[in-house]
Amino acid sequence: MDYDALVVGGGTAGMESALSLGDMGYSVLLVEKEASIGGTMILLSKVFPTLDCASCIATPKMAATFHHPKVKTLTSAEVTGIDKKPDGTFDVHINKKATFVDPDRCTGCSSCEDVCTVAISDQFNFDLIARRAVYIPYSQAVPKKAVIERAGTSPCTFACPVGIKAHGYVSLVRSGLYEEAMDLILEDTAIPGSLGRACYAPCEDDCTRCELESAVPLRLLKRFAADYYYEKYPEPKQGPPDQLRDEKVAVVGSGPAGLSAAYDLAKQGYRVTIFEADEEPGGMLRYAIPSYRLPNEVVDRDIKNVTALGVEIRTGERVRELAALEGYNAVFVACGAARDRTMGVEGEDLDGVFSSLDFLRRANGGDPPDFTGRKVLVVGGGNVAIDSARVARRLGAARVTIQYRRSREEMPAFDWEIEGAEAEGIEFEYLEVPVRFEGVDGRLARVESIDMQLGEPDESGRRRPIPIEGSEKMYDVEVSITAIGLVSYTADWRDGGGIFGDAKMSADPDTLQTALPRVFAGGDVVTGPSSITHAIGQGRRAAHYVDRYLRGVELSPQSFNGKLPAVAKDEVLTRQKAFRYMNGDRTAERLPQERIGDFEEVELPLTEEEARASAARCLDCGGCSECHQCLSACPAKAIDFSMRDEHLTVSAGSVVISTGFELFQPLKKPQYGYGRFPNVITAMQMDRLLSPTRPYNTVLRPSDGKIPENIAYVLCAGSRDCRVGNELCSRVCCMYTVKQAQLIMGALPLADVTIYYIDVRAFGKGFEEFYQQSAAMGVYFVKGKVAGVDEGPNGNLIVRYENIAGDGEVVEAEHDLVVLSVGMLPNQDALGLFTHEQLKHDSHHYVHEIDEDLSPARTSVDGVFAAGSTAAVMDIPDTILHSSAAAALAGAHVERVRT
Amino acid sequence: MNDRRLGVYICYCGGNISDYVDCEQVREAVAGEPNVEVAKTTMFACSDATQQEIIDDIQGLDLDGIVVASCSPTLHLMTFRGVAERAGLNPYQYVQVNLREQCSWAHTDLPALASEKAVAMVRAGIAKARYTEPLQKTRIETVPRVLVVGAGITGLRAALALSDLGISVYVAEQQERAGGWVGGFGSMYPHDGQGRELIGSLLTEIERRDNITIYTSAELVEKSGNVGDFSTTLEVSGERITLNVGAIIVATGFDVYQPEAGEYGHGSADVITLPEFKQLVDEGEGPLEYRGKPVRSVAYVYCVGARCQSNGNGYCSRYCCNAAMHAALVAGRRSPGLVQYHLYRDIRTYGKFEKLFEQARREGSVFIKFTEQDPPRVERYNGGNRVTVKDVLTENRELELDTDLVVLITAMEPRINPTLSEVLKIPVGLDGFFKEIHPKLRPVETVIDGVFIAGAAQAPRNSAESAASALSAAAKSAALLKRGFVELEPLIATVDPDVCTWCDDCSTACPYEAIERTPYGDREVAIISEAVCKGCGACAPVCRVGAIDLRGSTDRQIKAMIDAMEVVHV
Repeated sequence: MDYDALVVGGGTAGMESALSLGDMGYSVLLVEKEASIGGTMILLSKVFPTLDCASCIATPKMAATFHHPKVKTLTSAEVTGIDKKPDGTFDVHINKKATFVDPDRCTGCSSCEDVCTVAISDQFNFDLIARRAVYIPYSQAVPKKAVIERAGTSPCTFACPVGIKAHGYVSLVRSGLYEEAMDLILEDTAIPGSLGRACYAPCEDDCTRCELESAVPLRLLKRFAADYYYEKYPEPKQGPPDQLRDEKVAVVGSGPAGLSAAYDLAKQGYRVTIFEADEEPGGMLRYAIPSYRLPNEVVDRDIKNVTALGVEIRTGERVRELAALEGYNAVFVACGAARDRTMGVEGEDLDGVFSSLDFLRRANGGDPPDFTGRKVLVVGGGNVAIDSARVARRLGAARVTIQYRRSREEMPAFDWEIEGAEAEGIEFEYLEVPVRFEGVDGRLARVESIDMQLGEPDESGRRRPIPIEGSEKMYDVEVSITAIGLVSYTADWRDGGGIFGDAKMSADPDTLQTALPRVFAGGDVVTGPSSITHAIGQGRRAAHYVDRYLRGVELSPQSFNGKLPAVAKDEVLTRQKAFRYMNGDRTAERLPQERIGDFEEVELPLTEEEARASAARCLDCGGCSECHQCLSACPAKAIDFSMRDEHLTVSAGSVVISTGFELFQPLKKPQYGYGRFPNVITAMQMDRLLSPTRPYNTVLRPSDGKIPENIAYVLCAGSRDCRVGNELCSRVCCMYTVKQAQLIMGALPLADVTIYYIDVRAFGKGFEEFYQQSAAMGVYFVKGKVAGVDEGPNGNLIVRYENIAGDGEVVEAEHDLVVLSVGMLPNQDALGLFTHEQLKHDSHHYVHEIDEDLSPARTSVDGVFAAGSTAAVMDIPDTILHSSAAAALAGAHVERVRT
Repeated sequence: MNDRRLGVYICYCGGNISDYVDCEQVREAVAGEPNVEVAKTTMFACSDATQQEIIDDIQGLDLDGIVVASCSPTLHLMTFRGVAERAGLNPYQYVQVNLREQCSWAHTDLPALASEKAVAMVRAGIAKARYTEPLQKTRIETVPRVLVVGAGITGLRAALALSDLGISVYVAEQQERAGGWVGGFGSMYPHDGQGRELIGSLLTEIERRDNITIYTSAELVEKSGNVGDFSTTLEVSGERITLNVGAIIVATGFDVYQPEAGEYGHGSADVITLPEFKQLVDEGEGPLEYRGKPVRSVAYVYCVGARCQSNGNGYCSRYCCNAAMHAALVAGRRSPGLVQYHLYRDIRTYGKFEKLFEQARREGSVFIKFTEQDPPRVERYNGGNRVTVKDVLTENRELELDTDLVVLITAMEPRINPTLSEVLKIPVGLDGFFKEIHPKLRPVETVIDGVFIAGAAQAPRNSAESAASALSAAAKSAALLKRGFVELEPLIATVDPDVCTWCDDCSTACPYEAIERTPYGDREVAIISEAVCKGCGACAPVCRVGAIDLRGSTDRQIKAMIDAMEVVHV
């Protein structure tokens, strides 16, 4: 047996049970799901009827528990299942949640909290204020260690094929930390300027804000950060790493995949050389994407990030044999898909018929053909077709038409691209395809096209176009640009033992290693044409495995991309207690008539104000944004994002369930206005306002921060009320209300306090005296159940009640703050824990005490005991008695199963 | 000055201290102090790395005392005592200075002055460390046996629980039979358990145990010794028996308030108390009869002898609302159609007992609320009783209720046992019940170490709650005894017998009865029981001749600390 007893839940009951058992010499495992033990008591202001400071009496108990030599405490851990074994002992399954902070290193200094950029509603202050995503629960927490709240990976970050921490830079921009935002982006990519303009932004498609008004403009925010940074730093901040390694790596191709692989490898100290066939580096970034979308200066600055690390880019060197790269320990081939697919129709070689890449390369490379007054027909429906058409427009074409063989619905180009083209006056002919280019004197003059109709879906899932016989027609055009798709071409490699096919290379899809161990290949040359973003992802993947290869570590396929699962959007929207629909962002573009006259950028950048406002729309889906500020702030180097949940199984001789209670959710009593009227709060919130560790330095009401003068308490809010499914009395509300009334009398001597009650249940030792004392201090007790609360002027509240002790009339009284003395409900978490036997509950879903008369705390499962409010709501003195009783019974059970 | 070799460590607390206190300045100011062999600053004194560094210094520099200036001792006193211990240094030669709570956090607006204050505080800490002495915890072997006083449900349940945990038990019962109140009860709330059966089952089980002995007609008459090792004497039917036990559980139960003659008609026919009524409904079958007459209507008057500002008891006695409600339900079952009026002030059917109240209402009981200022009157009328009451719920209308029976719902009262009080010296509270150390967190422990209280002897409570209390007391006494020994903090008061003149002031000041008089040569002087003294320090300042000192906070240390602080000039 690993432990004599398992105690589930580290609140007052759990601590008392664990201490009693430990003191008796039994070994105890205490499992608490929060980051600190202490439960509810530590959050209270003072406790009735002694008015002890809750912190002062709880903290020693917490410390005693945590440091007890017989008690092992696991915080941030949950018991997921318990198997009862035939010998009367138990196997316990525990999920130890990743906290992303190494508790052995963390000293509880709070430096991480100071720099965290995500605010989350503070459950330990009952949502009165916010805490950070990295947090120490409260100042008296035991253990006093920070934890990071991560519900998972935020959907935006999860969607990014590059692995950029999208949520992270959004939260940094929101905080005004633009340089830090860029530093974070630069952790994952060398070319943020390009991505900020030309990424297709899958992150935005997955943004939870889409369910409300529209996505956070993640791509533009990245551009904003990049523009800010590049203006501040025309040259990169980063230089080569301090420690260089001996190994050399060759990268073939300086497109996004090659640059990214080189960047990641160079950061780790490898000596990287990129071989580029063209005169300038950048591949598609420079030559295929028109500069009205991505200016070459931006590409140049992006590439500096790579060369600043010491990467050499040898341009104009076309590598077509591996033998030329003998001196390199590893090779990454990323030569892309840089050829247009040919149409294979008559007249394709006529003067005036361009392939799209040739055309774009000339236009971007400073040798644009003159299209002034020409009629241009672009063939194809992808983004390259649109780019070609819009470039042609800017080159002075009189009329530009895009001809596509399917309908608009099937068009692979992005909608916003199509719309941009339409705005620039580009015409579209759908369901047509050229069958012949006809020339005059070797120059294109006409195009013969045929109409198509859509048949059954083909292997791409789109409906197959079928020519309609006899529908041929002629267009008079001077220029045609064919953009029906790109292909890679590797047939000209002279060696390689079969890794180069005619068109594509073959490599392991996970590790990108080819059949030649030192050669890796990725990007479009392997996958076929994709996007910049996917190509970067491939480059990073290659760098990851090349590094492992060079270090002699096994290339296990799972080692790349250790993201946590994505957070479900509905979970985010449920978790957010309140969110507003905000104005979506306009995507600002230059006017079409202006922009078609030049190659300046069409899309306008976000202003600083727009950037911060739109970043502020972020819902912080994952909790922690992975902005990494804590990583650098932590003086103890305790932050560890690679931490993951651990599952353990331990054996125990007995089990004490002390999972406590839940508070009644006052939204279930809409007539009391909680959630609608800001000045209706719960008594737990008032307890926080009165606590020595209170969030503000005084008691104030939420709507306007005014110090209340006339406070009403509504007793039995959610108790003794079958209409909300809780006919029981919650036992503690009368007394904590009386306690708070006394504390308010001390904190706000001028305030009036009125308590509306059914019966005042001051039944425990010293309670009646405490109640009488508060009445003598001037607290008003009014017999009358409150029927409803309305909001009056100035945020004041009108409380309606029947004046039972008077003449029974219905009275309306005005108060400036209403406190709901909410009741307690069973926490049913433990009921489903047992796998072989049902833990029985009573008709109110408290754990059933099968022999309450003689053995309180004993449950239906032999060896399992319910301590404290998990069996019935109870106050602290009764909880203490009940929990040490449970310990006595658990100890007796251990004695029995031991022999 | 002496030849002590001290190490001083000043903690930044990651900025919590160093943001307001110039720790380097503090270090420089104290580094040259006499006896200081090493003075260092550290980012986190509590971190594993610094702990190891301190251990290395203690061993490498042969330190015989350390001072850590960091946070509150409640957080890390034990941490650094542990560090000392691991380094082979006596843990009581460690001194903690609370720079964080008492200086940096308190003076965030005055960093310069905070630094000066910090210097003074650390100097005082050094001065204290200069005069620390190696101290040892006192170890007392314990006896694995418990004496339980009282054989009601609480005492019997505690005995059985201790037996389960492997501890032998003697039970002393004043009455001729074990069983207490519950042994005389029939049906009890909330589960309709039969009191007599519950007690019967406990006694049957106890008979099977060879490590439980019950003495009836027995009274505890003497107690000596201390925690873990008491010698107790019982008088059993005139015979004295001495028992050596490690702990004592007092489970002497309660009495019932006896109304004065005329109080709510008490003393006249057909006015009875709750225990009498319970007996009536518990016994026999069929429709209720009282004194040979059928009972067709009952008026219950609540809070008799409870919640009274003027006479009776001020406290609420907790169990009565529930018990009355339950008795009324049982009565209703026996006499269908029984008319029942409940005259109450507040219905306190707390928690799940609300169901009893709800059921009583459902079954037709009538509830009438009165105030303490305007209590009901009970008078003879027409051969029966007339109860006159002003009903708060109907605009204070005066109601006249003619009923066959009036039941006074009488409170629990502390059971007075002068002999026991004299022997055990457990303090009682204002309500007359035995007083626990802390009503919330330590409800079964008393200021007398090794003496526990349980059940209704501590406060009014019902049978099931008493069982929980009994189990709790069993757990706490088992915790004391199962280890085989107790260790007591050495930070206690000491008497210099050569100086003491025995004036008795110290023993009067002592809240724990730890000081007694003892012969010393031809004089009498005070002696302090190491096992009983808590080191509270109440005796030291009242000593006229300065004979008493407190270990760990000696006069010499305190004076040296004050002197050390004075040298700072603002």
